[in-house]
Amino acid sequence: MKDVDRSGRSRKPRHRIAAALGAAIVAAPVLVACGSSDGAITINVYKYPQESFQKIVDQCNSKAGGRYDIVYHKLPREADGQREQMVRRLAAEDTSMDVLALDVTWTAELAKAGWIKEFTGSAKSEVEDGTLQTPLDTASYEGKLYGAPDNTNVQLLWYRGDLVPTPPKTWDEMIQMAETLKKDGKPGLIEGQGKQYEGLVVLYNTLVNSAGGKILDENGTKAVVDDGAVKALETLKKFATSDVVDPSFSNAAEDDARLAMEAGKAAFMLNWPYVYAAGAKNADYIKNLKWAPYPSVGSGDSKVTVGGINYAVSSFTEHSDESFDAVMCLRSAESQKYAAINDGVPPTIESVYDDPEMAKPYPMKDAILETLKTASVRPRTPAYQNVSTVISTILSPPASIDPRATADRLRSELQDALDSKGVLP
Amino acid sequence: MSQTTTEKSGAAVKAAEPKKKAVLSEGKRAERKLGWLLCAPAAFIMLAVTAWPIIYSVYLSLQRYDLKFPDRQEFVGLDNYITVLSSPYWWNAVWVTVVMTVVSVVIELVLGMALALIMHRTLVGRGIVRTSTLIPYGIVTVVAAFSWRYAWTPGTGYLAELMGGDPVLTEKIPALAVVILAEVWKTTPFMALLLMAGLALVPDDLLKAAALDGASGWQRFTKVILPLMKPAILVALLFRTLDAFRIFDNLFVLTGGSQGTSSVSMLTYNNLIKGLNLGIGSTMSVLIFIAVAIIAFIFIKLFGTAAPGSDDGGKR
Amino acid sequence: MAGIGGAETTAKKTRWGILNAVVVIYALFPVLWIVSLSFKSKDTLADGNFIPRSWTFDNYSEIFKTTEFVRALANSIGIALIATAVAVVFGTMAAYAIARLDFPGKSLLVGVSLLIAMFPQVSLVSPLFEIERSLGLFDTWPGLILPYITFALPLAIYTLSAFFREIPWELEKAAKMDGATPGQAFRRVIAPLAAPGVFTTAILVFIFCWNDFLFAISLTSTEKSRTVPVALSFFTGSSQFEDPTGSIAAAAVVITIPIILFVLFFQRRIVAGLTSGAVKG
Repeated sequence: MKDVDRSGRSRKPRHRIAAALGAAIVAAPVLVACGSSDGAITINVYKYPQESFQKIVDQCNSKAGGRYDIVYHKLPREADGQREQMVRRLAAEDTSMDVLALDVTWTAELAKAGWIKEFTGSAKSEVEDGTLQTPLDTASYEGKLYGAPDNTNVQLLWYRGDLVPTPPKTWDEMIQMAETLKKDGKPGLIEGQGKQYEGLVVLYNTLVNSAGGKILDENGTKAVVDDGAVKALETLKKFATSDVVDPSFSNAAEDDARLAMEAGKAAFMLNWPYVYAAGAKNADYIKNLKWAPYPSVGSGDSKVTVGGINYAVSSFTEHSDESFDAVMCLRSAESQKYAAINDGVPPTIESVYDDPEMAKPYPMKDAILETLKTASVRPRTPAYQNVSTVISTILSPPASIDPRATADRLRSELQDALDSKGVLP
Repeated sequence: MSQTTTEKSGAAVKAAEPKKKAVLSEGKRAERKLGWLLCAPAAFIMLAVTAWPIIYSVYLSLQRYDLKFPDRQEFVGLDNYITVLSSPYWWNAVWVTVVMTVVSVVIELVLGMALALIMHRTLVGRGIVRTSTLIPYGIVTVVAAFSWRYAWTPGTGYLAELMGGDPVLTEKIPALAVVILAEVWKTTPFMALLLMAGLALVPDDLLKAAALDGASGWQRFTKVILPLMKPAILVALLFRTLDAFRIFDNLFVLTGGSQGTSSVSMLTYNNLIKGLNLGIGSTMSVLIFIAVAIIAFIFIKLFGTAAPGSDDGGKR
Repeated sequence: MAGIGGAETTAKKTRWGILNAVVVIYALFPVLWIVSLSFKSKDTLADGNFIPRSWTFDNYSEIFKTTEFVRALANSIGIALIATAVAVVFGTMAAYAIARLDFPGKSLLVGVSLLIAMFPQVSLVSPLFEIERSLGLFDTWPGLILPYITFALPLAIYTLSAFFREIPWELEKAAKMDGATPGQAFRRVIAPLAAPGVFTTAILVFIFCWNDFLFAISLTSTEKSRTVPVALSFFTGSSQFEDPTGSIAAAAVVITIPIILFVLFFQRRIVAGLTSGAVKG
C-alpha cells in the first residue's frame, strides 16, 4: 500500500524538484550576497536619471571619508513611474531605501502615511538656512519640515524678440498680440502644455492662483473651486479655442512645445528654463529668444506653479544619521551649483544664484528668482495623486471646458477624492 | 472506465453503506484514503490561495481603507459599492472591457476557425504551420505588447508610417483598436487549437457522404462541421470570454489606461497600486468576481456548455 | 485525412503552401520586428524601418551589464522552475487519483479546479497584496510562487488526467501477475507511459508562469523577486533623455528564446497536450 502511495508520482518530477531545489540553493547565497559588503554602511539613494548626479554622489562619497557609501539607484524618467515604485516599497516597509528624491507634490502624501522622517533640530535649521521660501513650503506639511529642497523650477514666458518688442503682462494681452501677428502673416502661435497629464494640472494651478482663486481650502480637506478657479477655467477655455493655440495643444507636453517654438511656428511659449540650454545649438533661434515673467490673469501678479525635487529620508531606513548627513551633502550649495550648470535645474539655495559661474547658463536667473518670490504650490493633500488625476481628466481636452459645469464637476469629484471615496480613472 | 460509471458504483456503495458498512472492503477504504491523500496538497493550495483572499477582500471592501490616510480606517458597509457602481469611470471601464471582449472574441472565432481548418487540412508543411501558430501562444504577452507599441510609435515604427505618422495610441478609439489587434494576434492561435480539437472529431465519412450528395464546401461547413463542433465552440467561447476580463498586459504596455482606455482589471490595479486605496480596490475585485461567476453560470446553464471535466473530459 | 475528394494536385499543394505562408507571416512578424529593433543602433532606432540599416550587439551587451536584468532573469527562471515543479508534482498526484481511483469529493475537486481556471486573477491582487504584506511574503519568491501554483494546478490536473485516462491499467495488473511488486509494476510499466504527459504538462505550466505579468507587477517591488516581464516595463534607459527602446527590445528577445526553443522542439507534444481535453489558456 505504501508503495502505491509513494509511486503516485513518476520519476521525472522528482528529478525536476531536485534540480530546481538545487538551483534555488545555489542561487540563494548569490542573492543574499548581492546586498551589503564587508559591513560598511550603504546609503541607497533613489532618484530619476540625472546626467551628472553620479558625479555629485562621488563627490559626497569622498567627503564622507569612509563613514558611509552612497549608492545611486535610478528610477524611471516619468514622475508617475518613480512614485509608483517608491510608494509600493514604502507600503511594504522596505528597509533598503534610505534617501528618496521626491517630486514636490508628494510631500503631503508620504508624510501623512508616516513613510518619511521629519527634519528636526539642527538638520531643520541647516536646511532652512539660505533656502528660498517657496521650495521650503513644498517640503513642509502641517507645519513640519519633511524634506530638503534640492532643485526648483518655475515656468517663464518665452517670446521672439524680433517679433514682439515688449512682452505682454496678461493672458488677454498675449492672445491679442499673437492674433495681430497672425493677421500680419507672421508666426503667431502660443505654445503650452495641454496634454492629459501633470503638466495640464500645473498650467491650471498657475491660472487659478493668478486669478486669486483656490482649488482646495487651506487644510486641504475641502474642495472649494471658487470664483477665481472658475475665472481660470474661462481663461483656459478662451486660450484653447482661440486662433492662436497650436492645433496639437491637447497632445503637447514640454518637448512638443519647445520643438514647435524652435521650428519657428510660434511667437510665444510657456515653458521651463531648460528650453534655453536645449535650444542653444541653434544660434539664430537663441539670439531672438527672450524671456519675461509669466503673464497674469487680470490685474495682480501671476503666481506660477513651482516644480522641483526635495530629498527625504525613509522612515524605514536603518541608518538615520548617515542618511540625513548624505542629504545635506547631496543638496549642498556646491552640489546644487554643479547640477544647475550641467543639468539645467535651478538651485534652491539663494546664494548659488549670485555665483559668477551661473551667469552664462542662466541669463534668466533674475526672472526665475523674481517668479519664485510669488510662486504658488499645488494643492497640498495626501490624496494629491487622485486630485491631480481628476483635474487632468476633467480638463481634457481644454477646448471642451464649460466653466460653470466643469467647476461643479471638479468640486464634487475632488471632494470624493479627498474623502477616499473617489474612483481613480 | 468512464468517470460516470465509477461515480455511479461509488454512489451505489455509499447508498448501501448503512447496511453494509462493516462490509466496506479494506481495499475500498484504502482507495478512498489514498485518493484524498493524493488530492490533498493540490486542493489545499488552490483553496487557500483563492478562497481565503476572496473572503478577505469582501471584508476589505466593506472598509474605508486608504494607505495614504492610515488613521482613517473604518467600517463603512456598502458605501464603497455605491461609490464604485455610481462612478462613470467604472462604467466606462466596463464598457471598454465588454467592447474589447466581444469584438476580439468574434474576430478570434472567425480567424481561429480559418486557422483551424488550415492546420487540420493542409497538405504540406503541417509541422511548420503548427509550430508558427504556437509562437503567439507561448510568447510573453508583454513582449508582444512592446513589439506593437514600438510599431505604432510615430517615427520608430513601421505601422505608424502606414497610418500617416499620427500618434495612434493617444486617442481612445484608435488605441482600443490597436489593443484589440494585439489581443487577437496573441490568442487566435489558442482558439484555433481548441477548435482544431473539435474539428478532429468530425467524422470524415460524414463529410464524404455529404460531398457525394452534392453539398458544396460552404454547405458542408455550415451544415455538417459547425453543428458537430458546437460543444467545442462553446467551451472555447466560455474560456475566451472569461479571459477577456483579464485584459491587462496589453493595455498596461500600450496605453497604461490613459485616455479612458482602462479595462476593469486596469482600473482595479490603478486604484490599488497607484491610488493605494484598498477599500475601493477590493470592492472592484469582488464585483469582477461576481461578474465572472454570472458569465460562467450563463454559459454553463443556459447555453449548455459542457464544462470540461464534468463529463468524460471530451473523449467521445 | 487529406483533402476531401480530388487528387493531390500541384495546384492544391501550392494553394495550401500559400495559405501556410500567410499563417507563418502572421505568427512571426511581431517577433521579427522586436528582433530587428534589438539589433538597431541608437541613432537608427527612430527611423521606422523594419529591417535595421546598421546592426549592433550593443543593446544586448548593455542589458547584461545591468543587475536589474540579470537578477530579473534569475528570478524568472527560478520562480518558474519551482512553481512548475511543485504544480506538476501535486497535479500528477491529484490527476492520478482522479483518473484511477474512486473517492467521495472527486467531482467536487474537479469542479473547484474548473472554478479556479475561470477565476479572474485581478480579484486576487488586492487581498494578496495586503495578506502578503502582513505575512512578510511581499516581494519574495514564495509570494509569487504560491499564486502561480494555484493557477497552474487546474491546467496541470486537466492535462494530466486526460493523459492518465489513456493508459491501460491492465498493463499494471499483468505486470503484477508476472511477479512484479506494485512499485516495480508502476515504475517499469506505468511511469514510462505517463512520462510524456508529465513532460508536456511541465512545459505548458512553465510557459504559463514565465508569461505572467499581473501578479508579478502587483506583488513585487524590488530586484529581489521582480521577474523579467515587469523589469522590462520599468527599464529606465541609461540617461535622462533617452528612451530605452533598444534595451527593452533586446531583453524581450532574450526572454522569448526559451519559448521559441520549446515550441520548435516540442510542438507535437504541446499541441497534443492542449487539445487532449485540457481546455485552459
